[in-house]
Amino acid sequence: MAAPEFPGNPKQPPRNFARNVVSGTLVFGVLGFVGAELAMGGMLAPILANPLTIKLPYYVARTLARMSIAYVLALAFALAYGITAALNHRASHVMLPLLDILQSVPVLAFLPIVFLFFLSRFPGSFGEEISSIILIFTAMVWAPTFGVIAGVNAIPQDIKEASQAYGMGGIQYLRQVVLPAVYPELVWTSILAWGGGWYLIPIEEYFTFGRCLAPPCPPHTLPGIGFYIADAANRSDLASSVFGVMVLVGIIVLIDRLVWRPLERRTDKYKYESVTSPTANAHHESRVVGSFRRAEGRLLTPIVSFLKYERAYLGSFLETAHLRPRLHISDRMRLHDRWAKHTLAGRVASIIIFAFLFFLAINLLSNGALSSVESGITIIQKEVGIPALFYDTGRSLLRILTSYTIALTWTLAAGMLIARSERVSKLLVPIFDIGQSIPATALFPIIILLLVRPNLGNPFALEIASVLLMLTGMQWYILFNIVGAIHNLPADIAEATAAYRIRGLRFAKEILVPASFPAIIIGSIQAWGGGWNATIVSEYISVSGQNGSPTVYQVPGLGSLLNRALSLDPTIGTVIIAATILTMTATIVIINRVVWRRLLKKADKYKFEA
Amino acid sequence: MAVQASEPIIRVDNVTKTFLGETGKTATVLDRITFNVGNEFLCIVGPSGCGKSTLLRIIDGLDTATSGRVLFHDQAITRPSPKIGVIFQTFALIPWKTVLGNVEMALGPTAVPHEEQTSLARKYIQDVGLEGFETSYPKELSGGMKQRVGIARALALQPEVLLMDEPFSSLDALTAENLRREVLDIWRDPAYPTNAVIMVTHNVQEAVYMADRVLVLGGRPAKILDDVPISLPRPRNQRDPGLYDFADRIVSKIS
Repeated sequence: MAAPEFPGNPKQPPRNFARNVVSGTLVFGVLGFVGAELAMGGMLAPILANPLTIKLPYYVARTLARMSIAYVLALAFALAYGITAALNHRASHVMLPLLDILQSVPVLAFLPIVFLFFLSRFPGSFGEEISSIILIFTAMVWAPTFGVIAGVNAIPQDIKEASQAYGMGGIQYLRQVVLPAVYPELVWTSILAWGGGWYLIPIEEYFTFGRCLAPPCPPHTLPGIGFYIADAANRSDLASSVFGVMVLVGIIVLIDRLVWRPLERRTDKYKYESVTSPTANAHHESRVVGSFRRAEGRLLTPIVSFLKYERAYLGSFLETAHLRPRLHISDRMRLHDRWAKHTLAGRVASIIIFAFLFFLAINLLSNGALSSVESGITIIQKEVGIPALFYDTGRSLLRILTSYTIALTWTLAAGMLIARSERVSKLLVPIFDIGQSIPATALFPIIILLLVRPNLGNPFALEIASVLLMLTGMQWYILFNIVGAIHNLPADIAEATAAYRIRGLRFAKEILVPASFPAIIIGSIQAWGGGWNATIVSEYISVSGQNGSPTVYQVPGLGSLLNRALSLDPTIGTVIIAATILTMTATIVIINRVVWRRLLKKADKYKFEA
Repeated sequence: MAVQASEPIIRVDNVTKTFLGETGKTATVLDRITFNVGNEFLCIVGPSGCGKSTLLRIIDGLDTATSGRVLFHDQAITRPSPKIGVIFQTFALIPWKTVLGNVEMALGPTAVPHEEQTSLARKYIQDVGLEGFETSYPKELSGGMKQRVGIARALALQPEVLLMDEPFSSLDALTAENLRREVLDIWRDPAYPTNAVIMVTHNVQEAVYMADRVLVLGGRPAKILDDVPISLPRPRNQRDPGLYDFADRIVSKIS
């Protein structure tokens, strides 16, 4: 049949995503390994010879513990802040725009100063752990917070009125209506949160920042899987570092299968029934899920039963929802809609609160050395110069733009391929799924090893490496939003275009591109966020040399400015870091307002009715 | 209007449809369905989930039969044809296209010259009573108006056969009643080239009011349980007591 086929077309049997992921992992891993083995030979020997390999289980445990503690904290914050912001109308005027600003701050920018601050107070392992957990927390917390707000907002008016009519108050309302409503969103955004955490892990566990510019370096005190990968890459042990990445991906996939997938399946209970074709809704329950369910039935019945309450009403404003959370377009869209509606007073108040929090943090982190804003500006003018600050911003911006253009081009092409053929989609999507589950930062040491080291004298190569590093942090957001849009193309529209023989180029131009336009915008916003984050680790690369002393390679930009500031006098350094973070955040907020929000408004036209 | 079909336009010949379930089990939905459609208004009724829509999709070439075939003037249907128009239950309008754009869309892949497409689309938009709404977007229209766009889109093809998949079941009762009458008026108007209509519905009353002949589908897998000619003169009244005799006969077959 020549009619366009969609992954989400009801006439296709549902794809076994899980099986694809597993087989994709295998294929990906085996191919990579065989390729490397053929290219270089003797992959296994260096892995076995690596003294750290035997410690891997311990490293994995350490990393997971760090992630889990941060996640529990993030969850607590998300529930408290989210429910307050969503239920308290007055507070929401300030809390929502504030959240908007807070989540635009590139988390990585805070990494160096947080480490410096805690290490100066708690030298050694304890300080490192605390700062790493705090940073993972900041990377994790925003998505679930927005998820909680979205979940509470999705409670239908009739349910609110009914619970009022039946005299449901405070705690009871919270338990029986709010928490179940929040559950599906919380699961999806938790997956995103863990993704954010994984992104941070390799950097925290390895990247030295200011901590080790003057040799001899202190022994590393943050052991984990990220450290294993980078340590191997640093010793030019490609085999071990690739092996480390594979272990990391294995863990991520395993957590996904054993934790998120079962939890995600249960989200169906708290969603509206959506009318789709019966085949598209057919569910396949894996054995793992089955046994999980049985165990859960015994252990968690009291908890589950309260979550099950009101299940018919609560939850879904998402249309077809058995794809990955990053494929959910509509919820993200609606949040952006909400942000656009902030009151002016709320925005001003949120900026003031943000500025206050920011200066409080900077003051605390710099040990009170910064007496006034004026003195800060003087320091910047003297040490960096305002024009230089603008120049660096421009350079970073240009680099992100380059990465973005590359990312957008190839993801659009891939999206078209996926939409046109079910077979291509079956082949590519699992590979992409694996690809995106690798935290981009875990690949940094390997990219540096392969691309930067052999070309140390060549500034052009450094620039390319920097763009490449950024690309790894940007591309998946766009790709998966596009794939999601293609999957979510309503079945009746797919059917109608097939019945009226809209095919090929006409189909791409008239249906596919417009239908994915909102998703492309959302993906672009996320990608730019990722890009800014990546500037900090991709513009300034520290490679340890033969004698253990690090050599630094950098390209001009805000990210490298931030890194350079670490080697300066602490007071001056902190001021420069603060200025860099502020410049970055301001640039992000301005671009969001001027570019993305306008495009989002335009995207309204291309949304399907729920 | 010849009620009795002389020459069949569509022949459904021994169509069986089997779905492959996720677990590897197969489920047969349609079991050796055979019937002809001539110049007539045919309704297919049956309980929901019995495979009516699947059958309609096979007739349009959107789905393929596991065995058996569908012939359109002795030619096997394997893909959608511009000679067959389809009207969907959920309207299936493109939200970013105007009313005119949505109707023109159907003409895009046809041989109709580009400059004639717009005037043709305008004509049919007028015919379904949407004059003045050409530049409106679907979200600005009521459900009834949306379905009118769907009807105009199908008619603009000037199809020989019109397929309708529960076209009135997303509309409120009053709107549906009006639209049913209008669709019948259009069908009976000799100016329109469409003579064969196949409509799927679970509303027995609606089927009896509109059809020349009602096929009753039921059972698992679904078979043709009955073939009921509705020998009432047209135009009919939707509240004609005579309709109830036919409806009773059909309902007794289904339940």
